[in-house]
Amino acid sequence: MNVLIVGGGLTGTFLAGQLVSEGQNVTVVEKNDAAAERFREALPAVRLVVGDGDDPAVLEEAGIRRVDAVVAATGEDEDNLVVCILARQEFGVRRTLARINNPKNEWLFTPEMGVDASVSQAHVMADLLRRQMQPAG
Amino acid sequence: MRFVIVGCGRVGARLSNQLSLEGHDVAVIDRNPAAFRRLSRTFRGQAIEGVGFDRDVLVRAGIEMADGFASVTNGDNTNIVSARIARQIFRVPKVVTRIYDPLRAEIYRRLGIQTISPTDWGAGRIAEILLHPGLTTQLSLGHGEVKVLEVSATEHVSGHRVEELTIPGEMVVAGLVRDGRAVVPTPGTRFRTGDLIYVAIDTLSIPRLEEMLRLP
Repeated sequence: MNVLIVGGGLTGTFLAGQLVSEGQNVTVVEKNDAAAERFREALPAVRLVVGDGDDPAVLEEAGIRRVDAVVAATGEDEDNLVVCILARQEFGVRRTLARINNPKNEWLFTPEMGVDASVSQAHVMADLLRRQMQPAG
Repeated sequence: MRFVIVGCGRVGARLSNQLSLEGHDVAVIDRNPAAFRRLSRTFRGQAIEGVGFDRDVLVRAGIEMADGFASVTNGDNTNIVSARIARQIFRVPKVVTRIYDPLRAEIYRRLGIQTISPTDWGAGRIAEILLHPGLTTQLSLGHGEVKVLEVSATEHVSGHRVEELTIPGEMVVAGLVRDGRAVVPTPGTRFRTGDLIYVAIDTLSIPRLEEMLRLP
């Protein structure tokens, strides 16, 4: 599977590493030079495009027309939404996934807005922690 | 009518002031409360501190009853997301957004969001003043291949007939304003000094028109 990840921070890097180890073909877009440098050190074999992931020209350069899925994993919810809107509406990507940073924004990550599936990190973590509070047994 | 404006910068504040002055209900949203200082003393609407894609904030601003919505923050992505919410989720009948990047403005226009790109507009207008003094674009069609230009009739064209400014496939006189009244000219109509002439023209033929009008 060809996957494009927008956002090469901690989340993007970790996900890219996992997908690559499963044998997937991954490209990552990161706009920040320092983060891009850290990404190169962590995953030197993964294709990295340095540029704005909300810029259609950068997405084209990253090969968005040939991917099976796009993951919007930046630290800004509005950027993640814009990446999904572009991926779906402009480039016809089959599957769009997004990271939600602020749980208050969960209501926006819907198929109507171009997002097939999303993960709200605060939500997931809170659920897991709550579950751990129950005594085992 | 009821309007919701996201972003109270120079454009947002001016827009809010103007709509309020014209008697409309206006709610303006900005994440920085200091921005509301730009609102004039005559502003009668609501100023709401918050983010333009926060559901509670939008509902408090009355988006559910809004007739129009404009997102004019300095972040293109914030503007796009807010505009999309206004249109897709709250079904506001009229949605306009400002996008600095002209390329992206074009894409979002295709998605049904009316976009204003001040970068495009400003650069185009400045180029026009530099290149074609005396001509003002009133309307730009498509990607600007065809324009409707306004030109003031000089003594040089006075007495000439409108068909002398017509070249099939290149330019045609679409209208005239004489003594404050607009007319669609008929063949044989003669220009008078002071007429405002409206020419629909292929952009590539503008130098030819300038030559015909003896413009600098």
